[in-house]
Amino acid sequence: MNDRIPCADPVGVPCAAGIGLRTCHFREILGRRPKIGWVEVHSENFFGAGGQPRHWLERICEHYPVSLHGVGLSLGSAGPLDRDHLDRLTRLVRHIEPGLVSEHLSWSMAGQRHLNELLPLPYTDEALAVVCAHVDQVQDVLGRQILVENISRYLGYRQSTMTEPEFLAELVARSGCGLLLDVNNVYVSAHNLGFDARDYLEAIPAAAVAEIHLAGHARIGGMLVDTHGTRVADPVWELYAATIERLGARPTLIEWDNDIPPLAVLLGEAERAAGILEATDGIAA
Amino acid sequence: MASLHELQMAFAEAVLDDAPEGLPEGLLAGGRPPGEGFGLYRSSVFGNYRKALRAVYPVVERLVGERFFAYAADAYVRVHPSRCGDLNRFGSRFAEFLRGFPAASGLAYLPDAARLEWAIEAVFSAQDPDPAALLPLARIAEVDYPGLKFRLAAHCRLIDSPWPVDRLWQLNQPGVVWDEEFDIAAGGVSLLVCRSGFEVELRRLGAAERALLDSLAGGSALGPACEGVLEIEPSAPIASMLHGFLATAALQVLPPERDRPGPSR
Repeated sequence: MNDRIPCADPVGVPCAAGIGLRTCHFREILGRRPKIGWVEVHSENFFGAGGQPRHWLERICEHYPVSLHGVGLSLGSAGPLDRDHLDRLTRLVRHIEPGLVSEHLSWSMAGQRHLNELLPLPYTDEALAVVCAHVDQVQDVLGRQILVENISRYLGYRQSTMTEPEFLAELVARSGCGLLLDVNNVYVSAHNLGFDARDYLEAIPAAAVAEIHLAGHARIGGMLVDTHGTRVADPVWELYAATIERLGARPTLIEWDNDIPPLAVLLGEAERAAGILEATDGIAA
Repeated sequence: MASLHELQMAFAEAVLDDAPEGLPEGLLAGGRPPGEGFGLYRSSVFGNYRKALRAVYPVVERLVGERFFAYAADAYVRVHPSRCGDLNRFGSRFAEFLRGFPAASGLAYLPDAARLEWAIEAVFSAQDPDPAALLPLARIAEVDYPGLKFRLAAHCRLIDSPWPVDRLWQLNQPGVVWDEEFDIAAGGVSLLVCRSGFEVELRRLGAAERALLDSLAGGSALGPACEGVLEIEPSAPIASMLHGFLATAALQVLPPERDRPGPSR
């Protein structure tokens, strides 16, 4: 079956390659204004109401489509969402009106304690109900769709009754959220948990994928770790090309958060992604 | 079968509390023993906490060294676990922790250095001063001046310390050459930590300035606040002090009480 669909074309963020923008590159981006399709920032880094971070983000918004990517909402925690965190996100979203808003399929809060890490969920009916309720709440409060991203996993759970693609498909069907497909995370999790990455990509609800992430990983012991600290690995590029072949073009982001290289390296990686996007006939923008 | 809540509590406990009896039940790792994957999460969690503290407290880290800082950071997590999904807020009680941390008791000034760094962090991204904040003053009759009330603006903080922490902070910035004359016991300071544009400035306050700012920020009306200052320093130039605080928007005028929304009846 050909699942290719026309580009979802989320408001403002084109089906082009973008980069994750970190503080060390703001000044250079604003000074040089390189040709990149869009940028993504971590929502929590702009929760402050003023000062240089907010000023820079506003200037960036004048020149590039922006996506807000959250890491701290803990959509998968049993119990209520942190309302203060959601309120701060809401204020930021209303202020800059980003093209996309995303969070993770993970948990990080247990009781009152935050582990501030993207931890894996058991894929059970109970977890699905929790994540659906939280996604519903976030989408209601924000008044817009959010995207939910698959994480890199180093562990699974015996009690899971669904695969991750089955869980994501149900989440999409019940909540109406979109998906942020991190191809590197699929590759890393497939290696660590022993499933086939291509089977995974065949099984995800293709039409819901509104954004793709690419990042580097490292091998530590017998495991692959999602370090965001190197170039995208060749097998991940191959998997990405196969993903685009199946889905058609999607907004694609190069993420790099540790040992951040010169901007030119990031732009080079984005150019490589753009080459793959442009080679498909689903290209837009 | 454990509920999601039980599973997450057990997982968090095993990560945070050094549970020696091992891992939560039911973990899988593609045929490998799950300890390796669990260890990755554990080191990442503590690594993230340390990184978050390091980002806010570079001077404290420089004063105690990397290894001691990491040790203190890991101990801090156990006393004050993270309560927020935004790691930028994680270090809010680090100064308070250091004050009671036996291993740091030999560095009595360390908690105040941390308090200053947290204030700097807070004002760095606080709400910008409102350029229209002075406008209400123009509409207030002179006779009403003694009843005026103010608040300390969001981009400013007051810090008192028995140590010269501003100088300590400045000398521990990257590239600054250590001043051999510096004496940590040279006496205390009152500081106005205030953002000017995007730069955070540390301004030493005299006793009268400190008293005026503290009194007004604490909710006193201008009249009683001035009387208090004059008791401390009879010749204090209150008008020019006040003008300075208003010009830098450190103080913001509150609307007269009759214009403020009252309790609903």
